[in-house]
Parts: sequence; C-alpha cells; structure tokens
Amino acid sequence: MNIRLRRALMLSPPLLWTVIFMFVPYTLLVIYSFWRTEFPLFVPDFQFGNYAELIRDPQYIRVLWRTMRIAAMVSAFALLLAFPYAYFLVFKVRRPGLRLVLYMAVVAPLWVSYLLRAYTWKTILGTEGVLNSFLISTGILSEPSSLFLYNQTAMVLTLTYVFIPFMVMPIYAALEKIPASLKEASADLGHGRAATFLKVTLPLSLPGVIAGFTMTFCLAFGDFIAPILVGGPDGQMVANVIASQFGAALNWPLGSALALVMLVIVLGIISVSDRFERLGQARLS
Amino acid sequence: MLRKLVTGTAIVGLTAGAALAEGELNLLTWEGYADPSFITPFEEASGCKVTATYVGSNDDFAPKLAAGGGVFDLVSPAIDSTAPLIAAGFVDPIDTSRIERWNEIYEKFRTTEGINANGQVYGVPFSWGAISFMYRKDKFDTPPTSLAALWDPALEGRIALWDDKSAIYVAARLNGDADIYNLTDEQIAAAQETLLKQKPLVRKYWATAGELVDLYKADEVWISNTWAGYQSSLLAADGIEVVEFIPTENAEGWMDSFMVVKGTPNEECAYKFLNMAVSELGQCGVANVNGYSATNPVAAKECMTPEQYLALHQDDPDYLDSLLLWENLGPRLSAYTNAWNAVKSQ
Repeated sequence: MNIRLRRALMLSPPLLWTVIFMFVPYTLLVIYSFWRTEFPLFVPDFQFGNYAELIRDPQYIRVLWRTMRIAAMVSAFALLLAFPYAYFLVFKVRRPGLRLVLYMAVVAPLWVSYLLRAYTWKTILGTEGVLNSFLISTGILSEPSSLFLYNQTAMVLTLTYVFIPFMVMPIYAALEKIPASLKEASADLGHGRAATFLKVTLPLSLPGVIAGFTMTFCLAFGDFIAPILVGGPDGQMVANVIASQFGAALNWPLGSALALVMLVIVLGIISVSDRFERLGQARLS
Repeated sequence: MLRKLVTGTAIVGLTAGAALAEGELNLLTWEGYADPSFITPFEEASGCKVTATYVGSNDDFAPKLAAGGGVFDLVSPAIDSTAPLIAAGFVDPIDTSRIERWNEIYEKFRTTEGINANGQVYGVPFSWGAISFMYRKDKFDTPPTSLAALWDPALEGRIALWDDKSAIYVAARLNGDADIYNLTDEQIAAAQETLLKQKPLVRKYWATAGELVDLYKADEVWISNTWAGYQSSLLAADGIEVVEFIPTENAEGWMDSFMVVKGTPNEECAYKFLNMAVSELGQCGVANVNGYSATNPVAAKECMTPEQYLALHQDDPDYLDSLLLWENLGPRLSAYTNAWNAVKSQ
C-alpha cells in the first residue's frame, strides 16, 4: 500500500472526529453569532449587532471581568498550595510508596464526580455545616456564621479544591525531571539552598507552573456549576450567562457571540502561555 | 431447575408483552407530572408506555424543541412559554372533540390566549397555581403581608428569590407597576434598580424546587417566593413549618397545559394521555403529588376530599381571577431577561 494512503487512513479517524465534534459545532456557533433574534426564535442574517450588544450593555464586560478575576484567584491559590506540595513530594519524601500514596491523594478525587465534590463544600460551609459546628464547639464562634457559603469566597475555595490536581500534576512532572546533578553543581559553585532554589529549581519548574496555571485558569474560567451550587447573588459567571441566553432568553445569536468571545480569550491565554513556556526553554538551553 | 426455567420464561414473556404494547409516549415535562401513582394505571389501561424527561425550568421547552430530533410527543409548558412553541410551529393543534371532558375544564383556561391561536386550540390545561410567598412560621412574630418583607434589612441574608424573569414581576409590583406583563423600558429599569437594592439582603437566588427546600432545611432562608403547594408540603414532610401567603401586592398565577409535538408518530397514545390528564386519575394525581390545583373542577370534586377541594381553591373562582395569570411576553421577553441578567451580573 502506498505510504500516503496508509497515512491518510491512519489519520482519518481522529481527523473525522475533529471535523465532526470540533469544527462543525464551532462553525455553527460562528454562523449563529451573526444571526438576529426575531420572535419567536431567530433568523439568518449577517450583522454585527450581537457583538455590538456585548460592548454596549455593561453587564457582559462586568461578568467577563468577574469571571477572569475569580479564575485568576483560583489559579493563584492552587499554585500556592500545589507548588510546596509537589516540591515536598519530589524532594523530601524518600520512600517511593509513600510518594505514590500522597500523589494519588491529590489526583484520586478526579475520579469522583465534580458535582459531588462541589456539593460536599455546601455541607461544609453552610450555616449548619461542618465548619460552623466546629467553630462553635471550639468556642471561636458563639453563633453560626453565614459568611462561608453563597458568596465568591466559597466559589474560589470550591474551584481551587476541584481543580488543584491540574496544578499538582504538571508541577510534579516538571520537578521530577530536574536532575539531582544540577543541584549538586549549584552547591559546588557555592550557592546556598535558597539561591539554588531560585536559580535552578524554580526556573526549571516554570514550564510546569505555566501549564498548571493555564489549565486551572481555563477550567475555572468556563465553570458553570460552582456559581449555582455555592455562589451567591453576586456569583454569576460567563458560562451561566451563556446558558441563560441559550435557555431563558432564547437568544442563541447573542449566546453564540458571547461563547466565541470566551473562546477567543481562552485561545489567547493558551497561546500566551505557550510562548512563555518556549521562552523559558530557550533561555535554559 | 425446571421451576426456575419456567419462571424465567414467564418473565421473558411478560417483558416481551410490555415491549409489544400498543405504543409509547415520550414526555418532556415537570417532575411529578409523570408520577407512577397515576402513570402506571394509565400504562396498564392504555397499553402506552410512558417515558419522561424532566425540565428544570419553563425555559427548557423551546430550546429542546428548537434543537429538533423528534424525540418528544408531549410537552407541558406554562402559559407564558407556549406562544413561541405555537408561533414556531413546534406543536400541533388539539382536536378538542377528541377530549371527552374538554367542556368541564375552567372556561378561563380553555379560552386563554396562551393556548388559543389562529382560531385553534393548542393545549390541554392540566394544572394551575400561584407563585405565592412563604416564610418560616417560627421566625416571624408578626406575619408578613407585603412584598416589602423581602426588602426588609432586618432579614438580611435570610431572603431567597426565584432565579427567573418573574423577579422583575415581583419588583415591579413593589414599585406599584401593576401591569407586570406590559412594562415599559422605564418600568423595567426601575424594577432592576429595586432588585439591586434587594441584592445585598439576598442569600440565594433559587433555581429549582429542591434547592429552595434545601435552603429552608439548612436554616439558610426564612422568606421567599415559591410554587404554591409544592415546596411547602415537601418542607412540612420534613417537619419544617412554613406559611404561604399572597401579599397585598398580589401574586402571579400559572397554568400548565399539555401540548402535542408536531408530527408525533404516537398521536393515538397522546390523545389517550390527554384524556387521562383531565380525568380524575390525572387531576387528583397531580394534586396529590405536587399540591397543585386542578383544571377540571368536575373531576376534582369527584376525587378530592372536601378539605382538599377547598384548600386548592377549586370552588373559588375569585381566587383564580385575582391572580395575575402569566402572559407570554412576546418580543419583550429579552427586555425582561436582560434586566434580570443585569441584576445578577452587578
């Protein structure tokens, strides 16, 4: 069989998959975004009114901004927790068995339904929840506080917990790849522990940090469940607005336009992080 | 061994019998509207196998049908969500001569604009009720009577409101704009302002019946709006006493009707279902499961106790007339939903 044909045959299933499940839906989204609503549904058209509406009505920019802020906070907190944890696993835990157990302790929750894990936080943070009962029994609070649940803090907390495996995994992989000889060389050249960390370990782990940051940010940016479960009156995020445009408002064209704006933002973030990652690699080599 | 074999064969025979039933029906409907308490007897009597998919909101009907697929035979939207389905041609007209007890249904419902268009009828009224308000009895010394209670700073963090365009209706009534289905842009903007003032006091905008029940059970919320009869009975079953009330600013009313999806291959079964729905079986079925009022008072009188008949306002046309029965907003829908989204985005 000719090589080109064989290659085409091998590539065709994934290609077909991409065309059917990625290309076609996104093209439809692009087409819809130029349509216009007309009772009862919407009619084909080519106009930029939906995009103009996204700029004209401040609510969309406001929600986009809020969503980005929450996603950035989730990524930042996940990083603060995940980096020391991964560092500890790679460099401090000597027994491979224990390391595996501790690693799995972070990764295993991914096998439990996201909905269930988010719901758990509701029972922890609620007015009659675990946290309040604990604080009252220890005498820190005299009566249950309603400050823990149904606000943006609860959303950031839940999302951080839910997405932290995506931060731990790439950082762990990056740290694990750093050869011990580099650290020894740094010590031989007279650097202390702190300087070695700042000049060797940290720069070499940056690709993992960037990958983790990108993943957690994008996942949190598109989240839709946390606002519903633990968010309060000020918890609406972009995905919820899109859902409402496709449902309650029956305005698919506007929803499509907003979804595409979201897609462009995510793609932008991914390409920026990709560049950063390559920049880091170039400097080290 | 032989006995086992015989039993096995019998079971296979039974299942095969069910599979060979006369037809099947796919419902897109509310939880409780396909409750086994009345669906199982219907299946046995009609030979039509019923499968139900549940919606979480009235907003789910049009998008699901717009997405196409020919999956559903019957849908049960509320009266404010029927017009797009009719206008878009998603549903077929009803041949009311095939609904035996059609004339027993409240006239107000039979003739309502929501199911009548182009001189034809498009829905069979099934149940109705009020979007009333409710509060925890043990938390109020003086029972609230006005919507103002949901704007009372003393109740900060104890208020819940339905995450729905009806939030605009509620705020408009508090503002004194009684014609809630024909609000001007200024009145909608005013309602939006009023809702923004309430927002810091709100614990949660509730989305589903179960969520509201959980909010009361977890002692998060003391006052909210509700689907009269439904959540309060679920809470009562859990030992939490709530009181429903119609505020001085009045309340909205809703009515759900079953509509036949265009081109259904199961029309025969669909009509059998519609006939069942407005008979004693369906009317008392939904009243007992969901606590909603019946659209066929004649059937309701047959199957309800006098107390239930009274409690569900079946003999009280004034109550029904006093409610602001939901209307389709037509092209104005987006003005309402955008205002509500703007409140949530603030």
